[in-house]
Amino acid sequence: MTSAIANCERCESPLETGDLRCSICGLAAPAQRPQAEKLTVQVLRCKGCGAATAYDIKHQAPSCTFCDSVMEVETLEDPQEQSEGYLPFTIGQDEARKAMRHWLSSLGWFRPSDLTTSARLEQLKPLWWVGWVFDAESSVSWAADSNAGSRRSAWAPHSGQVSMTFDDILVSASRGLSNGEVSAIGSGFNLATIREQPEGAQNATIEQFELQRSQARQQIIEAIQVIAAQRVESQHIPGSRFRKTQVSVVLRKLITKRISLPAWILAYRYKGRLYRMVICGQNASYVTGSAPYSVAKIMLVATCVFVALLVVVATVAAQ
Amino acid sequence: MTDGAPEQAIEHVEISCQACGSTLLVDAHLRTTVCPYCASPSVIERPPSANRPAPSFVVGFVVDHDRAAAAVQDWINSSSIFARSDFKQAAPELTRGVYLPAYLYGAIADSNYSARIGENYTETETYTTTDSKGNTVTRTRTVTKTEYRSLSGQHSTYIVDVVVTASAGVTNNALEAIEPFDLRALRPYAPSFISGWIAEDPSRSKEDCFQLSHNESVAKVGKMLDDFMPGDSHRDLQFETHLSQEVIDLVLLPVWSFAIRYAEDRPPVQILVNGQTGRVGGKVPISAIKVTIAVLVGVVVVGGFILAIASQN
Repeated sequence: MTSAIANCERCESPLETGDLRCSICGLAAPAQRPQAEKLTVQVLRCKGCGAATAYDIKHQAPSCTFCDSVMEVETLEDPQEQSEGYLPFTIGQDEARKAMRHWLSSLGWFRPSDLTTSARLEQLKPLWWVGWVFDAESSVSWAADSNAGSRRSAWAPHSGQVSMTFDDILVSASRGLSNGEVSAIGSGFNLATIREQPEGAQNATIEQFELQRSQARQQIIEAIQVIAAQRVESQHIPGSRFRKTQVSVVLRKLITKRISLPAWILAYRYKGRLYRMVICGQNASYVTGSAPYSVAKIMLVATCVFVALLVVVATVAAQ
Repeated sequence: MTDGAPEQAIEHVEISCQACGSTLLVDAHLRTTVCPYCASPSVIERPPSANRPAPSFVVGFVVDHDRAAAAVQDWINSSSIFARSDFKQAAPELTRGVYLPAYLYGAIADSNYSARIGENYTETETYTTTDSKGNTVTRTRTVTKTEYRSLSGQHSTYIVDVVVTASAGVTNNALEAIEPFDLRALRPYAPSFISGWIAEDPSRSKEDCFQLSHNESVAKVGKMLDDFMPGDSHRDLQFETHLSQEVIDLVLLPVWSFAIRYAEDRPPVQILVNGQTGRVGGKVPISAIKVTIAVLVGVVVVGGFILAIASQN
């Protein structure tokens, strides 16, 4: 279902129908127009009345001054992004419920003691949210300040150039899930299980891409720069603290898949308030969401700490 | 202000109007003509050659004649106060809208750079001063100082969207003055975009245009490196750039060209208007008299001021 037509001759990224130039390196797509072999003279004729026509600014196309008809010109294709495949749900409704109970009970002592028992599930809805998965090769030039090798200032400059490959990196295009939720459940998917049709859940909400292709590419390239900067910081820059990390990424073979990914969206009520949870549709151990804190328990601890401090101060003073 | 434009003898080609059959003589560097007998617009296609490749892309006109003329008038009215008065009063003469040939250049730029990176730090220093009672006291203050560390490295990037003129009639500086063009509106070249308008073939050699592209690319890399440097500041940035995998495509850009004849004894001034965005560019002739008067007034004012101070002492 992909609309790739050929690969760019320079950076080997796929070109798609309607691309005039490679979106990565800017190389012109192979020309589709035959070139003149001898001198020819052409008069553009109106299809309606046969009169000669000229390009008209108002219509952004040739138009006929006699019969007012407008000739069609090739318009630029910038289609809305479409999902190319669906990852199936492998976690059922019951498992999702279980995962919710398990997650609520694993949150720790500061939560209300009756959270697991009193939380009432209000809604449990399957959602296919949209994202891009990409592979690419790249050469990353970087420069940054870090604490390594610093002298009088806390910072010292470093630079380098590394080659970097990206395999199956997931970038969210979802409006329904926040970036935090996506990064919490993003590692739980098995990208090899892609299907043509939605599978594994009934009455699911199927999110659509809300971006045009050109904006989508922009967003993917920005995401790549962020990921490259993170990787450079964790693997290549000496030192432990960084600032002003700059990267220049030369991409090759950027292959992007547009896919829909499964997630369970839960809403539960505790003492009249609604809380939201998201569970990865393929692995119930990837869960994220919000939950209440127990004010009583926090107050208790704060009071204990305060009393302990008082006792210490009093002991010190008494000596 | 010519970028070494080659002098070319004007050649003509003979074509016959496809509407009425009349024989027309057309300048060899034009891609279009309008038949003087039947007013039919013709588009001429020639086999491409090394210095005259077939156009790959075109950006269509968006700004019409009236808007372009109004933009030029605004631009003249708001020009520098040192502009010649006869220039400010002159009426712009329109030569028609032209599809200007330009090259769209792209490459991979690999650079080696070196710079002195300034890293700030604060120090507490003691100093002596006199307080309000006239006593000498010692105080401390924090001062920000900068240490410079040398940094060198490699930087690689794609260069895209460098646009240089391919017409001998328009210098690259003149084209830069009305850039940028919004290249998202780029279309594959089709005769329907230029029918009825003036469209030129390239009249500069490809080598010439490559040279212009290289210069613009290196300037672009310099700006990127300026942003790329870490630290609180930097100085002595030096770099050497190698451009590889270059590509160049011919694009036709919409330009309104105006001529302003402001004095009998001076050549007319060329003013260009970006046919897509309406941006105006050109060189304003400066009045030598106005500048001289301003300098004289300045000298008199400063001189008077100095005299006034001197007489008070």
